[in-house]
Amino acid sequence: MLNFLLRRIYLLFITAFILSLIAFTIDHLTVHTFESENAYSLYKNYLSDIIHGDFGTSLIDQKPMLATGLSAFSSTLELCIFAFLMASTIGIPLGILAGMFNNHKIDYSIMTIALIGLALPVFWVAIIFTILPNAIGWNMPIDGNISPIYEVPAVTGFLFIDSLLVTEQYQFEAFYNYIAHLILPASVLAIFLISEIIRLTRHAITMVMKSNYIKAAHTKGLSRRQIVYRHVLRNALPPIIHQLRLQLSTIISFAMAIEIVFSYQGSGLWLFVSIQQGDYLALSSALLIISGFILVSSILIDLLLVTISPTKRKTLYADQ
Amino acid sequence: MLINNEFNEEKIQSPLQYIWTIFKNKNIAVMSMWAVIFLILIMLFADYIIPYSPTMQHPDMLLLPPYWVDGSNPAFLLGTDDLGRDTFSRMLKGIQLTLSGALLITLAISVLGLMIGSTAVLTKGVKASVMHHLLDALLAIPTLLTAIIFIVLFGMSYENSLFAVSLSLLPQFIRGIYYSIENELTKQHIIALRLDGATNHRLLRYGLFPNMIEPITTLVNRVFTMAILEITTLGFLGFGANSEQVELGSLIAKSIEFIYLSPYLVLFPGIAIFLIIIVFNIFSEGIRHAVIEGEA
Repeated sequence: MLNFLLRRIYLLFITAFILSLIAFTIDHLTVHTFESENAYSLYKNYLSDIIHGDFGTSLIDQKPMLATGLSAFSSTLELCIFAFLMASTIGIPLGILAGMFNNHKIDYSIMTIALIGLALPVFWVAIIFTILPNAIGWNMPIDGNISPIYEVPAVTGFLFIDSLLVTEQYQFEAFYNYIAHLILPASVLAIFLISEIIRLTRHAITMVMKSNYIKAAHTKGLSRRQIVYRHVLRNALPPIIHQLRLQLSTIISFAMAIEIVFSYQGSGLWLFVSIQQGDYLALSSALLIISGFILVSSILIDLLLVTISPTKRKTLYADQ
Repeated sequence: MLINNEFNEEKIQSPLQYIWTIFKNKNIAVMSMWAVIFLILIMLFADYIIPYSPTMQHPDMLLLPPYWVDGSNPAFLLGTDDLGRDTFSRMLKGIQLTLSGALLITLAISVLGLMIGSTAVLTKGVKASVMHHLLDALLAIPTLLTAIIFIVLFGMSYENSLFAVSLSLLPQFIRGIYYSIENELTKQHIIALRLDGATNHRLLRYGLFPNMIEPITTLVNRVFTMAILEITTLGFLGFGANSEQVELGSLIAKSIEFIYLSPYLVLFPGIAIFLIIIVFNIFSEGIRHAVIEGEA
């Protein structure tokens, strides 16, 4: 276990080094220019700045980049997590159904839903969702994270928790308001995620259903329900988690596109606005923050995979 | 299979012919194949089909609805936009630009990715390890961010947005190829081929690629779908095509402010993107099923 951890951390360092090189290059191609100093000492200074948490200050509002970037990215993360929860509650049961009844009518209709979800461009669905409340007659907010009448101090950066911390002042009004703002963008992202989750779950379940130990369980006379709960689900979960980890960057980039349509104050909108105003320092900061998050979370997911499936342990180095 | 009724002679088809025979018997797959051909024909000959120039303005015909709605003009099949430009012509031009870009990216990524992926699997040592870590780092950057970085560094143009999208999709494709080759390498016929003393080239040509049609189809289809989605997303955000070029994503972005006056302007390009992706996905799914059935 220790050996495995060390290996993962060593890999993390190499990848982080490459990422910092990329960020340094972007930084110096856009903001600074190479002066008389050699690139090596410049890079050393840059690295020590980053390690001390100094990502530079924004040209627009003179605030430190790291704080702005982190609070923006935490909003993106909230959107992703909320959408993911919505998508898994719908997608996993559908995927299991499709995998159980492989090449059956149920399978085909569920896969059609998944295909439609994949083929709808997210930003277009987001636009449709912004006019939807008006068309149906719902009263739903379609811009921003929370109504500006609520003053929510940033304690954790996650509005979900912060809006619960101000219950003395507003009772649960701020929290409800935040949830109302979150539902539409999260459902747009969930449409994409549902189709992905259905696809992955179905694939994993079909693969497991073909394996010999399931046949053995059948011959033992176990009921279908027992087989699914006891053997299929537990063995299908690791490949699903593994594939979703590889999709993490795609999910975040779709979330960023959705934020721009809903003017949700996340990293997508932050980057978009910064670049339009020529504040290119935001690029390298966003690169470091988002990619750093993805790297760290992929290691955590690897650890999770090891704990839930011991057979995975020996192959982990090969397919990290 | 019997070739005629007189002689009971069995003709053994080549694997590709066999797959084609199975594919031909699937109605939906054949239909989607014709739809794909139709889309490609539209892409190739859009300049000859369009009734008006996509930039020609008709100042007296602003924001017309499509022909089946009251108050329309049958001369403009899908209506006009805020400057009186014909939506149908602009849509066809948009399909042309987006689809050709996506197909180009898919082709480039498939060739490059297959080469790099197979080299990465079959070589050991420093070369493979450098490639591995570089890919890991590139995989950790969200695709939209890669695209934005690329565009900021090299300026905004449709060509640069295509480069950016391919740069962000290439690592994912290589990863997929890497896994499927690695998966295939442990099989016994490959080991037998290796024991025969096959060179890497021979191993790929006769051992690996013929058995990898199904995963390659899935991966290529995935790249194509993502390419369409990302090209249009970049166009929508204004990082892609410039104002003279008509691209499906930028068409949506330009008409978003008229969504209450004329929702068709937003609806039609979205439906076009949707249909392109659906058609290509069903087509590749048809191939995949035919390959799986052929192998079984």
